[in-house]
Amino acid sequence: MTPQNKIFAAPLGLLMTAVVLGSGPVQAAALESGKEYMAVTNYPNNVHVLDLDSDTLIKSCQLPDAFGPGTLQMAPDKHTAYILNNHYEDIYGVDLDSCELVFHAKMSQAPNERTKTLFSFAVSPDGKELYAVQNPTELHRDHYRVQPPRLAVYDTAAGLDAKPVRTFEAPRQVTVMQTGADGSLYMVGPDVYKMNVETGEREVAIPSRNWQRPNYTPPDVLSVWPIQTATRDFTFMYTTARFQDETQNLETADWLWGYMNINLDTGETETRDFGPITEVYFTGTRSPKDPNLMFGVLNRLTKYDVEKQELIQAAELDHSYYCIAINGAGDKVYLAGTFNDVAIYDADSLEKIGNIELPGGDMAITSSQIFVR
Amino acid sequence: MLKRRRLPHALSLLSVAMLAASVNAQAQGDAETVMAQTCAACHSSDKEGQYTRIDNQRKTPEGWLMTIARMQVMHGLKISDEDRRTVVKYLADRQGLAPDETEGSRYALERRLNTLETFDSQQFTETCARCHSGARVELQRRPAEEWEHLVHFHLGQWPSLEYQALSRDRDWLPLALNEMVPELAAQLPLETDAWTKWQLADKPQPAGQWRLAGHMPGRGSMSGVMSVEAQGKDVYSLNFEGRYADGTPINGKGQAIVYTGYEWRGDLEIDGTPMRQVFALAGGRLEGRMFETLHDEVGFDISGARIDSGEQALLALQPSFLKSGESAELTLVGTGLGGQPDFGDGVEVEEVLASSATEMRVRVKVADGASGVREVRIGDSDTQSLSLYDRIDSVRVVPDYSVSRIGGNGSSTPKVYGLFDAEAWSAGADGETGTADDYRIGVVPATWRVEPFDERAAEDEDVRFAGTMDAATGRFTPGAAGPNPERRMSTNNAGNLKVIAEVADGERTLSGSGQMIVTVQRWNNPPIP
Repeated sequence: MTPQNKIFAAPLGLLMTAVVLGSGPVQAAALESGKEYMAVTNYPNNVHVLDLDSDTLIKSCQLPDAFGPGTLQMAPDKHTAYILNNHYEDIYGVDLDSCELVFHAKMSQAPNERTKTLFSFAVSPDGKELYAVQNPTELHRDHYRVQPPRLAVYDTAAGLDAKPVRTFEAPRQVTVMQTGADGSLYMVGPDVYKMNVETGEREVAIPSRNWQRPNYTPPDVLSVWPIQTATRDFTFMYTTARFQDETQNLETADWLWGYMNINLDTGETETRDFGPITEVYFTGTRSPKDPNLMFGVLNRLTKYDVEKQELIQAAELDHSYYCIAINGAGDKVYLAGTFNDVAIYDADSLEKIGNIELPGGDMAITSSQIFVR
Repeated sequence: MLKRRRLPHALSLLSVAMLAASVNAQAQGDAETVMAQTCAACHSSDKEGQYTRIDNQRKTPEGWLMTIARMQVMHGLKISDEDRRTVVKYLADRQGLAPDETEGSRYALERRLNTLETFDSQQFTETCARCHSGARVELQRRPAEEWEHLVHFHLGQWPSLEYQALSRDRDWLPLALNEMVPELAAQLPLETDAWTKWQLADKPQPAGQWRLAGHMPGRGSMSGVMSVEAQGKDVYSLNFEGRYADGTPINGKGQAIVYTGYEWRGDLEIDGTPMRQVFALAGGRLEGRMFETLHDEVGFDISGARIDSGEQALLALQPSFLKSGESAELTLVGTGLGGQPDFGDGVEVEEVLASSATEMRVRVKVADGASGVREVRIGDSDTQSLSLYDRIDSVRVVPDYSVSRIGGNGSSTPKVYGLFDAEAWSAGADGETGTADDYRIGVVPATWRVEPFDERAAEDEDVRFAGTMDAATGRFTPGAAGPNPERRMSTNNAGNLKVIAEVADGERTLSGSGQMIVTVQRWNNPPIP
């Protein structure tokens, strides 16, 4: 443990408003307005900022406590990066200009509670609130008791000992979340829900496990990368099988990739198949230039024509990458997750442009986010 | 509920060797003292010394060991190895499983990690056996309340569990609590007649001399005598002297503890290699496996009988197959042997070469055209199959589907070898292979090689990277662990291989094949997978 961490660990719970975290070998001033950046986390305790004009690392801030999963969400003002870490038990807010820790919320609300958040947090469109679906377990002396999940609402100005200002009952098995321009909270769970964060009421925004698409199997959805896009599309993929007819014969069914999408500005939703399953992807996203182009990544970087439901291009990779992101212009694809290099590909040709090496270790299942200050 | 599917798993708290028989079992009083000093900190105990949770479960010695190890790893229990052994022994004796209750699940205790489990209950398969062996569950007995605690423990400890495939497609927690718990409580209850009866039953006597017969894939058959002497309550010293069918000696010494009146756990050094015995004693017989402590994939299937039991036991015929029209030597391994063995029609005993109560060596002549399977017995003994054949019609690789693992290279786990036998089969009377009258001839020498299992394996050069096959023994040694920069995408030395055995039968050469997945290390490797 570094000295900074020790200093940090002790005052949690005291009324500190900000703690300057140690910064890494690379140090820089405030981010520049109008410029495009990527924020990404990696082991052992880093959040890095990359300049996407020069495709260079410009800053590394250090995070307190243990790493994992490192899921990152940018605040709407693009100043604060919120990071789920410490073995899924804490959310931290880091000011990317100063590397200061400006927010900290421990997911557990009681001494005998151990609470994990499984990628499920989001920030309100005005940046004033942070939402987390928390999965608590009561730790009794000789047994555990799993508790119902809850949606905890935090005031992002609450500092380093933030407590929920409201809590609501939440569904089990929720992963990624985003907020719409109208303040609604979208949560991906057994179905995709739209929640009113004032009342806790929710409705189904996109049926998933319970979709009623004739002659389709229920989709399989596992998204743990809440990718924030330039087009304000909240996109996550599914796999499914489409039967030839009512006999529902799996032997002759078409196995398909598809995506579900919520446009966070308009609230418009979409469920759409985009191609046959020929390989596995961890993440996918559409081109901001041409929404008919869908990209997927794990062991290859691929591109689909959504309309034609065809794989149109594929690039071999140096190693697996988990998390995809595309710059606002839609001309560069950035691949993060696993190892400690971000790979850059030309979005049109899928030719490799280069790599950005990150100090530190594995990015693991981090979510990289591209944003314009 | 059970049976066979590939064990995915994952392990590694503590090696099996923790059940080591290196100390004397201690008195019940010691165990109770240790429990009062350790367990009682969290498990409240009433005046009669009843502990919450602990008193409501029964399991195998390995099961209790895993429980206590989990308390150490996850809940901060401090306990010395010696005290832990004392408590494991006490709990396994007091709250173990009856022999009948372990039937069908012993493969897990015996570390047969290539077992393919299948279960009648789809719910059980998907809820429990999805992540660890179903045997691990079936080797426990609990009331409903305790199974319910187990569900809460699982989801509380591994919160991502309900997000995984075969969980995220359903309301996992309500199903586990409302459907799985009642099923487990009905199938695997705390209180059973079997356990009540076993507690009252006369227990097998381990001390004395045991005749053992064994077979190891890739190495062949062996037999020997294990002399067992009592050293303390349920603790024994043992001395094994034997030889392989090819005459090579195999000798060793060690110690064993008997748990629950029948669960024999031995630790030996056999010709310089540490080995472990997991046997079930039943009257004057024992069954189980003896395997290398550090490579549990390398081991013998063992059956044994007490020499002084007065029982006639025929444990093995070595070899267990003979070619028609030929004379051959045959060894019968057992106890209480004597007189003339009867091999049935077509097999004539030409000469008894040697005869003792534990081994009989005979030269037999098999008549021209004699074929089929004979059930051989001596006196009152049980039977052993003897296959007669005139030609080999097909060859099978056993196991036909298996897993080996990369390792070493500075990683925390050793390589897991692939071991194979080539089984010769006859087409039977109809002369057609693949029909119901095919019969197994036996394990025959073969020349071994591996090939890519499919196009992808060929493209990725799995044969080059995944390891090497010993052509003579059929032992496959996987490649080194870790990313390999020479491979596409720097992937590790995993592979998908076809294992091919070529067998000569006179002028003809036959071959058979199986599939072996060479995969990554088993990081989590507890005593019960």
